[in-house]
Amino acid sequence: MTWWGIVIAAGLGTFLIRYLPLLSGTRLARGEGWLSRFLGALGLAAIAALIVLSMSDLWWQAPHWRGGVRLVLGAAAVLLMQRVTPNVGLATLVGAGVYGVTGWALAD
Amino acid sequence: MTLEPALSSPWRAAGRGLRESLSLVAGYAPIAFSFGVIAVQSGLTPWQAVGISLLVFAGASQFVMVAMMAAGSGELTVLSAVLMMNLRHLFYGPALATRLMVLPRRLAPWLAFGLTDEVFATAMAKGASRPLEPAWCVGLASGAYLAWVGGTALGAGLGAGWANDGGYVAQALDFVLPALFLALLAQAWRRARWPVVAAAAGVTLVGMVWWPGHVAMLVGMLAGALVGSRRPRAQGSPEATP
Repeated sequence: MTWWGIVIAAGLGTFLIRYLPLLSGTRLARGEGWLSRFLGALGLAAIAALIVLSMSDLWWQAPHWRGGVRLVLGAAAVLLMQRVTPNVGLATLVGAGVYGVTGWALAD
Repeated sequence: MTLEPALSSPWRAAGRGLRESLSLVAGYAPIAFSFGVIAVQSGLTPWQAVGISLLVFAGASQFVMVAMMAAGSGELTVLSAVLMMNLRHLFYGPALATRLMVLPRRLAPWLAFGLTDEVFATAMAKGASRPLEPAWCVGLASGAYLAWVGGTALGAGLGAGWANDGGYVAQALDFVLPALFLALLAQAWRRARWPVVAAAAGVTLVGMVWWPGHVAMLVGMLAGALVGSRRPRAQGSPEATP
């Protein structure tokens, strides 16, 4: 298999992993049973799992109390902004800004 | 799926989705830039780096793909590693379909192509409060895709001599994706759903002790959804209480 062959196969495989269940999902989504509740909870569960994954990646980049303080303050800023305004983009950018500024403020 | 409220013009809905992808764009661009830099430093040409982002569009698995190719791994090993990492996306389509008003066949391939972790999380958070228009989802995914491909091109083209200086702006950008997920959680939060969040987060955290991150995430996600699939105890439960 050539280099481009691997890339095309990886792209096609990834696409099919996303596409085929989406087609069958429209049928599953009409149900009211266990599977429907399972799928309904999957989004929130994925968001929670992604938070843990991305935050722990950041923590392990610099496992120190300063890193912990930055994560806590950044997260608090996001949640506070989200409470003040329902704008996800603004809350995200303010949280990232607080994380960056805290890094500067706590630097040696 | 319900037909209420009525579908707006697809182009208008796609435009709204594109506008609402701005937080995703802010999160994707620096990561895609890093991917472009790393791909070129691993010996790929800028065109090859952009080609991977154009055709695969699956963040973490692209980094693994480039690393394995640079290490001289066999073609089938690389391919199976990429597909194994992306297996968690199997569940995204059916879950998204539960929140869509309708799913026109002609939009389904575009919607599926853009169904990354972040697009899925953003759409599901939005879908917690109202049914989603498919064109809105396509607009959202298009913004993310453009940022991903554009960021890769910039990183591959300009980043050959670029080294991460660890500056505070770069560090702030590192926090964009965690911040986005937190904001999405806050948006989609329902008090009655706390066991879903606790199970998913707890199992992912513990799972990372034994497994790679993408496996721990898959197991945590399924654990949270399993908890959420339990039958509600009574009618009029506090499900809708924010």
